[in-house]
Amino acid sequence: MDYTFQWGVAFGYLPELLQGAWVTFHLTFIGFWSGLAIAVFLAVGQLYGGRLLRRSISVYVVFFTNTPSLVTAFFIYYGLPEVGILWSPYVCILVNLVLKASAFLTDAIRGGVASVRVSEMEAAETLGFSMLQKIRYVIVPHVAKTLYAPISNLYIVFILGSALAAIFGVEELTGTAFNIAAETFRTIEIYSIAAGIYVLMTVAASALLALVGRWAFRVRARIF
Amino acid sequence: MFENVLRQADVFFTWENALLWLRALGTTLSMAVIGCCLGFILACVLVYFRSSPHRALLPLRLLLILYVEIFRRIPFLVLIFLVLFLTRALGFRLPLYWVACITVTISATAFIAEIVRAGYESVHRTQWDAAEVMNFGRFRTVWLVVMPQAWTVIIPPAFSYFVMFVKETSLASQVGVYELMQTAKYFNNIGISPFLAFGTCLALYFMVSYPLTRFGWRIERRLRERFRREEGAEPLVPALRPLPGL
Repeated sequence: MDYTFQWGVAFGYLPELLQGAWVTFHLTFIGFWSGLAIAVFLAVGQLYGGRLLRRSISVYVVFFTNTPSLVTAFFIYYGLPEVGILWSPYVCILVNLVLKASAFLTDAIRGGVASVRVSEMEAAETLGFSMLQKIRYVIVPHVAKTLYAPISNLYIVFILGSALAAIFGVEELTGTAFNIAAETFRTIEIYSIAAGIYVLMTVAASALLALVGRWAFRVRARIF
Repeated sequence: MFENVLRQADVFFTWENALLWLRALGTTLSMAVIGCCLGFILACVLVYFRSSPHRALLPLRLLLILYVEIFRRIPFLVLIFLVLFLTRALGFRLPLYWVACITVTISATAFIAEIVRAGYESVHRTQWDAAEVMNFGRFRTVWLVVMPQAWTVIIPPAFSYFVMFVKETSLASQVGVYELMQTAKYFNNIGISPFLAFGTCLALYFMVSYPLTRFGWRIERRLRERFRREEGAEPLVPALRPLPGL
């Protein structure tokens, strides 16, 4: 083995990498939660909308859940300038994340709503609940409980999935690691540190989401 | 944009190019298949040792838990670069294709191990006890009692992971493996409109992934019908199913 590890050099770049981690954080945070907001509307449309609306939403969901994120990102990044839209790489990746997140989450939410049993709705009917009360006391608590696990898992997946932004020159964690590795040739050390930061970030995100879940929805969530 | 696409269509849609795309598709699929099959076997071995009750194996068990927890939380892109540079530093000049396969294996092992463990947990404690009463050893208990029952829980999510890994291997283009994504980039680089190049790539991924997803649903439904458990039992497929990638 003719490779000498120089961890000192690599750790000297820790501030830059942490700055990259911050970019990763807000990229995924904005992308994922706005994707969730869109997904709520799409799921409602798919459950209660007309035939045409339902069809088009399910085409959207099936398309984006069955194609790799990287290819749609390339499509957006290289395709849009052809029709005269010039966005920065950050915005392209963000749009890509929102599209992906909304598709995956629509699927998840629909599954969660479908898991409300008919008998529960009938029980609410017998108690004379109005539609709003039904949503507030029957559907939302139930859906929050069943959706909590898939949503927090997807959030972790999106943090990891945002690494592909590096390919388009966004200076998030992986992108920063790319640049530093190209500058210093300390590839293994830099990528190991980046991987370590990813592990810490996702563990922190899982722990926070588990706390929120316990506090807000009384879900017994496990972190590991 | 559209006149551009139309103009290039007869240059782009030729038999040679179709063959190129097909070969790329074969590379994409074979990476996922090799990686996931190896990953599945390794995951079974890993969980076998991880759930062992021996005190002497405690450090090994901790190591295995650490492996699963860490490799589920590293992006595929970072992992593939780590594997690439580590194998180079150690002096193996592996072809890039095998670097990608190894990366898929490492990642798939960590993800599938969690499913296999959920499969173990879905088998009732009394089954293990009964096997012990019959004087079965640990291997025979797992092989003859636990695994035959755990299959129904393991197979559907494992299959959906396989479909996920088919898509995840698009990142292998970043180290230069000639698969679908790399082919699309090649066509884009020689001047074909990105709508044609990446659009074909998207269509091909979709044509592979969608039927596989449908097939996975079918397996899941069939297994559920065949091995329907009594009312009130825990759901056949664990709700917690982290996806490996987008």
